[in-house]
Amino acid sequence: MLSLLPTMSTKMRKLLLLLLLTFFYPSVKALGVNDLAISCPATLELEKIPLDLQKYRGKVIYLDFWATWCPPCKKSMPFQNALRNELHEQGFEVIAINVDEDSEDARKLLQEYPVDYLIAMDPSGQCPKQYGVMAMPSVYFIDRQGIIRFIHLGFRKRDEKEIRNHVMELLAENGEK
Amino acid sequence: MEKNKFMSILNSLFNRTLTVVLFFSVSACSVAPWERGNLAKREMLITPDQSYTSLRSHVFDSKEASSGGTGALGGGCGCN
Repeated sequence: MLSLLPTMSTKMRKLLLLLLLTFFYPSVKALGVNDLAISCPATLELEKIPLDLQKYRGKVIYLDFWATWCPPCKKSMPFQNALRNELHEQGFEVIAINVDEDSEDARKLLQEYPVDYLIAMDPSGQCPKQYGVMAMPSVYFIDRQGIIRFIHLGFRKRDEKEIRNHVMELLAENGEK
Repeated sequence: MEKNKFMSILNSLFNRTLTVVLFFSVSACSVAPWERGNLAKREMLITPDQSYTSLRSHVFDSKEASSGGTGALGGGCGCN
């Protein structure tokens, strides 16, 4: 193939370059631990305004990616709600971004099983793409400075202790690091 | 003249190879974790209706006067 390079027309060379770029260039750099949590195109369900994570600076944020078709996501809801209600006064907030293609599915579920934490809708899937979500559900623990400190993938009953420990650790920090 | 002909064959060969590579690269798209909503639907299961499947297999077993052999485990040798 490489021996053909000198014989190729400019158009063909450009095509080849485009092909190589498509294969090897990462489209979006996924966010990871120690990265600043950025806002993404999700809409807050109650206020019908775009989700702005800057607004929650100074609070410990539990950013959850969930969908109605994901059983562990639904299993985690009562735990998340209890944790949020227990620690809300200490500056803790749960923001759950729903990634169902049809947000109506989520609304129906939430009518049946209401929660107290914030729900945001992202049917386009841009938010999980930006955050590089690896599994469903995925939780991003964001500290008071807006930095992603831990990422938790999946949810099982035995994970509750670990999740609580992450939250307590971040709440214990005074926010002036 | 001969060189031009050779070049044109080479170009045409390259274009065809490129088309085939592009075709196969598109067919190998992956599904992201958050895009599995449609795959998780009931109708996407191999046996979407469990009771209907068990009824069908019961009828099949009766007609064939034998049962089993539909799974992947065990070869009937009694060693599993």
